Amino acid sequence: MRSLYRIANFAFQDIVRNLGLSFMTILILVLMLLSVNTLWSLDIVTGKAVQMVRDQVTISFYLSADVTDQNTTELKSFISTFPEVVALNYLSREEVLKTFKDNHKYSPEILQALDELGGNPFGPTITVRTREPGDYRKILEALSVPEYEPLIESKSFSGNESALDRIQLITNRIEGIGFGLSLLFAIIAFLIIFNTIRVSIHSQRIEISIKRLVGANNWFIRGPYWLEAGIFTLLSIVITMVIVFVSLSWLDRYIGIVLGNQFSLTDYYRSHMLYLFGSQALAVLLLTITSSSFAMRRQLKV
Amino acid sequence: MITLQGVSKYYQSSAPVLKDINLNIKPGEFVSIVGQSGAGKTTLVRLLIAEEKPTTGKIELGNWDITNISPGVIPYLRRQIGVIFQDFKLLPRKTVFENVSFALEVSDVPGARIRQIVPQVLNLVGLGDKFDRYPGQLSGGEQQRVVIARSLVHRPKVLIADEPTGNLDSINTEEIIEILKKINEFGTTIVLVTHNREVVNKLRRRVITLADGSIINDESEGKYTL
Repeated sequence: MRSLYRIANFAFQDIVRNLGLSFMTILILVLMLLSVNTLWSLDIVTGKAVQMVRDQVTISFYLSADVTDQNTTELKSFISTFPEVVALNYLSREEVLKTFKDNHKYSPEILQALDELGGNPFGPTITVRTREPGDYRKILEALSVPEYEPLIESKSFSGNESALDRIQLITNRIEGIGFGLSLLFAIIAFLIIFNTIRVSIHSQRIEISIKRLVGANNWFIRGPYWLEAGIFTLLSIVITMVIVFVSLSWLDRYIGIVLGNQFSLTDYYRSHMLYLFGSQALAVLLLTITSSSFAMRRQLKV
Repeated sequence: MITLQGVSKYYQSSAPVLKDINLNIKPGEFVSIVGQSGAGKTTLVRLLIAEEKPTTGKIELGNWDITNISPGVIPYLRRQIGVIFQDFKLLPRKTVFENVSFALEVSDVPGARIRQIVPQVLNLVGLGDKFDRYPGQLSGGEQQRVVIARSLVHRPKVLIADEPTGNLDSINTEEIIEILKKINEFGTTIVLVTHNREVVNKLRRRVITLADGSIINDESEGKYTL
């Protein structure tokens, strides 16, 4: 207990009496964390934008006008069995007719032509949304069997096929670039933090050797540096959080224009605060402790 | 107190730094080890404080065989011996008081005891009024006195001084030697490594002369003969 108190005391003394180096270390950690959060925010925003595009892509099955209720129920149940299907919307013949009339209420010629046909010429419509645009193909293939083909008059997918392929390609590329950038930033962050801590420890190598000479054991020498790493991590996370939330409250009004007002990065950060900043704190802490232990290893050999 | 039996030290692909050293220093002795640069004096000190291990031979300090001491035990050995260096080796960001108390803190000595002992030792070396100064605010002689206070504070049985007066003027040199003599009078064994002829000749104590890694002379009341 006494040793712990002394280690804590040495750590705080080191920070205060080496204020310039402490300030620079925290500054570099904050800059790195800000870069990581910028990338993270970009990833969230692009992910949200991609999801919005995906959500707007659906496939519609226009069924024959003479299809029975039993056939329709069977078809709906069959499509629902696919795990890829996230939403299925069914419009009855009457609903399709009503929608058609609403859509063409300012086109009397079309409505007159409809009257001349007599009765309801429309069949029911099933609209499906899948998890990934690429999943549509699987559903289409499954429905291209003699059992179901006569029931389906037309599909809205064929015209959109190339557009869907492009969306799939673009979203995959964005995800790939995001992953690549994250990896690059992680490596840069690792190297910068590792070197910052290494320089900080290296500048104190003579002090470490003196502590060894007067009989300090490794725990007594490492302890204050580990605690300092913890304090630097905590301070840098708190400073980063303040900067991130202030920046996001300003950025949100511009993001809202693009993604709609229902999405707010501030709300996202607030609801994921523990995960976002907890994981960053853990990563920085692990990195600073590993770097300081690695940097001290040589000095502690004597 | 200190025994070296057939101790040699070689570094890779070079001539031996120490060759077959046999030495016995009794408790309470004041021994000067002299020799020219490269004679092996500093290597001998490094072996005694377990900064290096001998290539061959055996070293005992007290009843402790430190020949192949394990790294985990070295801190405990160093708490039993006091070491003084030419370049002082003080912690620059700690005050005089903190530098001295650090040697006790690493040994888990209670704070109340530290607050009692440290001022006594600092008064002994004449620094009773400079507790709060940092090493950079002290003269060379004063810094060396802080080092002596630090090495004395845990009452070691052996004090090893490697060129303690190397960076000091003649007045400070005399003062430091007087302090070492006083410490020796209290029963502490002193090993003084120096090439200061005047200091050695004035002391009139045991002198061991090293040349090319070997002991060439060992006199109980010797002089600087090189």
